[in-house]
Amino acid sequence: MRGFAPLLAALLFAAAAPAPASEILPPLQETPFFAESLDRGDLPPVAARLPDAPQLVDFDARGQAPGRHGGDIRMLMKRAKDARQLTVYGYARLVKYDRDLELVPDLLERVDNEGDRVFTLHLREGHRWSDGAPFTSADFRYFWEDMANNEELYPVGPPAFLKVRGEYPTVTILDETRVRYEWRYPNPDFLPGLAGATPEYIYAPAHYLKRFHLDYADPEALAEAVAESGQRNWAALHTKNGRLYRMDNPELPLLQPWFPVTEQTAKRLIFERNPFYHKIDRNGRQLPYADRVIFDVTESKLIPGKVATGDVDLQGRYLTFDDYTLLKRNADQVGYDVHLWRIAKGAHLALFPNLTHGDPRYRDLVRDPRFRQALSLATNRYEINRVVYYGLAIEGQNTLLPESPLYKREYRKQWTGFDLKRANALLDEMGLERRMIDGVRTYPNGDPIEIVVESAGTSTEETDVLQLIKDSWYEVGVRVFIKPINLDTMRRRIYAGETQMAISSGLENGMATADMTPDELAPVHQIQYQWSDWGQYFETNGEAGSPPDMAVGKRLVDLLHRWYGAADKAERTRLWREMLEIHSDNVFTIGLVAGVMQPIAVRHGLMNVPDQGIWNWDPGAHFGLYGMDGFWWDPGVGETADADRAAAAAAAADDG
Amino acid sequence: MLDYIARRLLVMIPTLLIISVLVFVIIQLPPGDYLETMVAELQSQGEEVSQERIAFYREQYGLGEPMWKQFAVWFWGLLQGDMGYSFEYELPVSDVVGDRVFLTILVSFTTILFVYLVSFPIGVYSAVRQYSLGDYTLTFVGFIGLATPNFLLALILMYFANQWFGVSIGGLVDPELRDAPMSWEKLVNVLGHLWVPVIVIGTAGTAGMIRRLRANLLDELHKQYVVTAKAKGVPPGKLLRKYPLRMALNPFIADIGNLLPEIISGSAIVSVVLSLETTGPMLLGALQSQDMYLAGSFLMALALLTVVGNLLSDLALAALDPRIRLGAESAR
Repeated sequence: MRGFAPLLAALLFAAAAPAPASEILPPLQETPFFAESLDRGDLPPVAARLPDAPQLVDFDARGQAPGRHGGDIRMLMKRAKDARQLTVYGYARLVKYDRDLELVPDLLERVDNEGDRVFTLHLREGHRWSDGAPFTSADFRYFWEDMANNEELYPVGPPAFLKVRGEYPTVTILDETRVRYEWRYPNPDFLPGLAGATPEYIYAPAHYLKRFHLDYADPEALAEAVAESGQRNWAALHTKNGRLYRMDNPELPLLQPWFPVTEQTAKRLIFERNPFYHKIDRNGRQLPYADRVIFDVTESKLIPGKVATGDVDLQGRYLTFDDYTLLKRNADQVGYDVHLWRIAKGAHLALFPNLTHGDPRYRDLVRDPRFRQALSLATNRYEINRVVYYGLAIEGQNTLLPESPLYKREYRKQWTGFDLKRANALLDEMGLERRMIDGVRTYPNGDPIEIVVESAGTSTEETDVLQLIKDSWYEVGVRVFIKPINLDTMRRRIYAGETQMAISSGLENGMATADMTPDELAPVHQIQYQWSDWGQYFETNGEAGSPPDMAVGKRLVDLLHRWYGAADKAERTRLWREMLEIHSDNVFTIGLVAGVMQPIAVRHGLMNVPDQGIWNWDPGAHFGLYGMDGFWWDPGVGETADADRAAAAAAAADDG
Repeated sequence: MLDYIARRLLVMIPTLLIISVLVFVIIQLPPGDYLETMVAELQSQGEEVSQERIAFYREQYGLGEPMWKQFAVWFWGLLQGDMGYSFEYELPVSDVVGDRVFLTILVSFTTILFVYLVSFPIGVYSAVRQYSLGDYTLTFVGFIGLATPNFLLALILMYFANQWFGVSIGGLVDPELRDAPMSWEKLVNVLGHLWVPVIVIGTAGTAGMIRRLRANLLDELHKQYVVTAKAKGVPPGKLLRKYPLRMALNPFIADIGNLLPEIISGSAIVSVVLSLETTGPMLLGALQSQDMYLAGSFLMALALLTVVGNLLSDLALAALDPRIRLGAESAR
């Protein structure tokens, strides 16, 4: 068996555990929340709602504890559109990352992976959508044939992550619970795409969406529905109603732990438990524990204040490290804990010298690695950490974090010791003389070297940091101007090659493993501020931008392509390491600090929220990695009304 | 009179047309469009958006069309009462605005009432008892009200409302009742929250109104007819009510036209700070994200309100003060 062996083994192993379902399944307990529906006969009993082989969650193995049903979890969001965050937090995926960032099956019972080329997905027998309709291979067929390959719904073809060297997979429906995706070349993006915080979808609730599909619906009724909704055509209506990620359509069946019951324009978004969710704990309780999740929509600047007065049960989004003191001060009085989770970006802040700047003179200057190394050496990261982050951040380059298996200390530490002498020596070696009266270095023609750093930060944090850098760079003869600017404008200027240097956050995924694509390290995305023009070239298939014209840029692209063709994990690891080394040597981005803390407010009595954690988008899905469907209210601890309700519900459950 | 009204109504049409062109052009002036805002926002959260997808949306939303064509489509719809489509919410604008209009009117109306109720007695008092201790105190308080930035006052009052009365921070109703249908319980709850924004939005207007009324009344109080009436033995209270006060009332009425749009648009920042469910924050958000039909329709509604408000206040003024002649009548 070639390729991807460890991952495959992990998948098979994890699948093996709950397989002989009927023997080891604990006796099931009914959920008190559904008592009325059950009495009325609106819902079948729990045994009939679960798949034949439900996912058994072993809380003890994860250092958590199985809990009780009941209660609401209240959170604050900025806009009604943030409803989608519950798809992120709920984190039910076909396959997903576990705590060790290995891919494991979740909605699927198991995945057979042959060399990253042929994937056979095994669905759970008897698995149902949140409206009770069966979730089967027909839903995959509908997506592939009637949506992805429909010109009006997907005018530019099926999602790009399914495309390998210009070819789409052969999709075969084997039977009711088995689907096969087959490529000619390996597609290592396939499973990570399904497991993302914003997942790629390859299925859709056919039984619901067919009524909006021109090939299935009654044309007259459909035309009427289109007119009534104010959409342009049936395709727009189908797309709008069928977005599994957004949680904006109460009628759309889902597979997540909670589904929305309020309309999108509501100011209080309410989500109720999915009666057909596929997980149980060892006491036979169907997850999720919390009956409802409630998002109150409010102005984002008010959120820290509202958290501090006790308006939420769980909050991370829209809180920043600046708010920590305010949150901590009120914590005991109001009755919540504040945890600090590490943000897993490669760098919380980094400087991006624009290697594709429009002015050839400046471009040549920053393309000289000695210049970037010198600037990195002339940056006092220790001072920045102390002054702005109370010394809690990790200093160093923009690279992976210690939590990643690929991490090496030198990637982060190289060229980062504060050493003005060495920096000056490098700049002298480049022939940049200090010819200005105040010692600022000049270009050969006598113009001073002045760099405008653009900042799109919403608070003063970035400009504070830049002020510190400005002083130490001046010591080595480089003058800095700070220019606060709107994010959209800054992006446009970078894409047009007008920005000299930008400050922003570094690598999105600081915890990458060798099985995750290293595309952030190669110039293939326009959003990479240090070589946006090259990225544009690859994103538009050569229609705009320009190909890398530095040897090292070409090398990185080449390494990325080789990673996609790599046969096994060892090969991938080797390629990752080479790319990381190139970055560390060349200092394409001048990383400042990483691992800044994210405050998490947790109301007393809400259990299973870890004290220490990683706050990351992908992989991680924020709370998703820690299983928000397993958060529960302990009636003994909480004092809030919600906790009391939870207590009542739990008592009722015990009586019954 | 009817002639006059008809003429004023006719003049409104070109006025509103010009405003609509200005509104549309100004919203479009900043580079980029709604899609770029959307993409930037998604990317800042770590989500990826492919170039192909953007091209698809641009076509779907009609953003690739020339500007005059987009304007024509929007304006034609507006004439038929269709306010267009909000990109941000992916819904027709009328659905998005919904019951926010009701709360906006409630807040605005209460504020106007507050301004009148407070400023009228104070204005009269401080004119009649000029340079008394009460006049100085109230004038001082009034100036503070005029000079304090509204958002600051909003933050302070919000803090104390929470500390002393346990009112939840921000919003017009407690979270539990937010989407509940209107009921007695909800109304009481709204009233409990309403006083903060009303005071905040109303202070500046109140202070201004006090000063205007006081100045006008002072002018009148020293005129000969007042002295004559006093000499003839008219009791002071009756004298005041019957003559100078009526003369000084004009600014009260003339202001109606300005007050309406000022309170609705001027309260946007306060509404953002207080997280009120009024139209203000929505307008601000729509302008920031270049959700042009939503923003455009809002601004048009405000423009209409201003124009109509001015007409109403002119008519009311004419009815109240016989010295004022409407254009048509004086020409006769």
